[in-house]
Amino acid sequence: MADRGSWRRELEAELRAAGRVVAVPPAPDLTGAVRQRLAAPARRRRHLPPLGTAGSRRGMAWRAALAGLVTIGVLLIATPQGRAAITGVLRFAGIELRQGQGPTPGHGRGASLPGVRRMTLAQARHRAGFPLLVPAALGRPDEVAVSGGGRVVSLIYTRTPHGQLRLDEFAGHLNMLMFEKFIQFAHVTEVRVNGSKGLWLTGPHDLIYINAAGVPVAASARMTTGNTLIWGTGRVVLRLEGRLGTAAALVVARSAR
Amino acid sequence: MYSGRAFGRLRRVINDAEAVARARDGDLDAYAALVARYTVRAHRAAFLLGAGEEADDVVQESFVKAFRHLARFRVGEPFGPWLLRIVANETRNLTRSRRRRAALTLRLATAQPGGAAADGPVAEVLAAERRARLVAAVGGLPARERQVLVCRYFLDLSEAETARVLARPLGSVKSSTSRALNRLRGLFVDEQDRVTNG
Repeated sequence: MADRGSWRRELEAELRAAGRVVAVPPAPDLTGAVRQRLAAPARRRRHLPPLGTAGSRRGMAWRAALAGLVTIGVLLIATPQGRAAITGVLRFAGIELRQGQGPTPGHGRGASLPGVRRMTLAQARHRAGFPLLVPAALGRPDEVAVSGGGRVVSLIYTRTPHGQLRLDEFAGHLNMLMFEKFIQFAHVTEVRVNGSKGLWLTGPHDLIYINAAGVPVAASARMTTGNTLIWGTGRVVLRLEGRLGTAAALVVARSAR
Repeated sequence: MYSGRAFGRLRRVINDAEAVARARDGDLDAYAALVARYTVRAHRAAFLLGAGEEADDVVQESFVKAFRHLARFRVGEPFGPWLLRIVANETRNLTRSRRRRAALTLRLATAQPGGAAADGPVAEVLAAERRARLVAAVGGLPARERQVLVCRYFLDLSEAETARVLARPLGSVKSSTSRALNRLRGLFVDEQDRVTNG
């Protein structure tokens, strides 16, 4: 007969597994509605800084503090001692990295970006709101998909020496969030790609797409495969994902043009 | 300030505490970032805690209330559980005012492994069926027990976070968890023993 702890542990594990597949309707986009309600002047007044505090000076102080944090953030991810100290969120080139587990562990088999459409490379170039890059090291992609009305272009390479590779690209000049990743920051290291900063993420992690309204799209949540390299060229941000090592990923990245 | 050219820069590190601090100063952009970041989680919590189809309204109301109560947010406190406490409270108000029947209908997502396994090996089909019945059984538990299980296992909150979100003492959360698990055991564990032994 099973002891008390063991049936309980099993049942708890079953409940957690069931929780991952319980049906929940898609979440609405509330940013606009909430903002509208909060912007009503009579209500907003209550939340202005108390008398005696100069709002603008406080704002400046915050900006200064943020600037400091950015520099510290860059240094911290490079040192193992610093990694444990980071909690919260790190933004890099339209991708937000959040420490810890994602909201939908185990999901992802049917996950896809919203409005995904297969097309030819030429059509994708026309459709994308940015100059599409193709890594010479990989040649022509086996599949090209455009999502979010041209916000994201994905090049899929089904047969490479590293198995399937996926390259997501989006506009780099917009200060807009495109993806959210849930990862232990210990798995993030800084790399140089063509003289610019890049991030190398080891191991699978949860990835979710953020739509144009800034809302995470639950249906896009999935576990990535292998490792990920994120880098950019000024106008384009690229995210290479697959079971390849850092050296191979850098070769691919350096050949993108 | 660290700022590279068009790319090559870490745009900024903005964590929840900073967003809260700026929102408290009336920065609606900072608050919009929190709304975007927590909508999925808050909506999931509201739905599973019993708001059902009214989860959208509950979450919108919760975000508005949370903004107005930001002054009470303690620096260093995690934003998620603090917000979920407001969501849970709003959900409670809704279900009370509606005199909604206690049970909540919970199902498995159709596009999930449960559905995909319909053509798969028998073991997988059975596991999916069992999971569907388990989820339905959680929905049928008395509200206080159901809410604790939802927080602990469907929302992945710790016992302490669950106590905070549901505004209940830690001891009450622990005893409700045990009671609920025992009830489910009666429905499920014995059945499994019978199946594997017989």
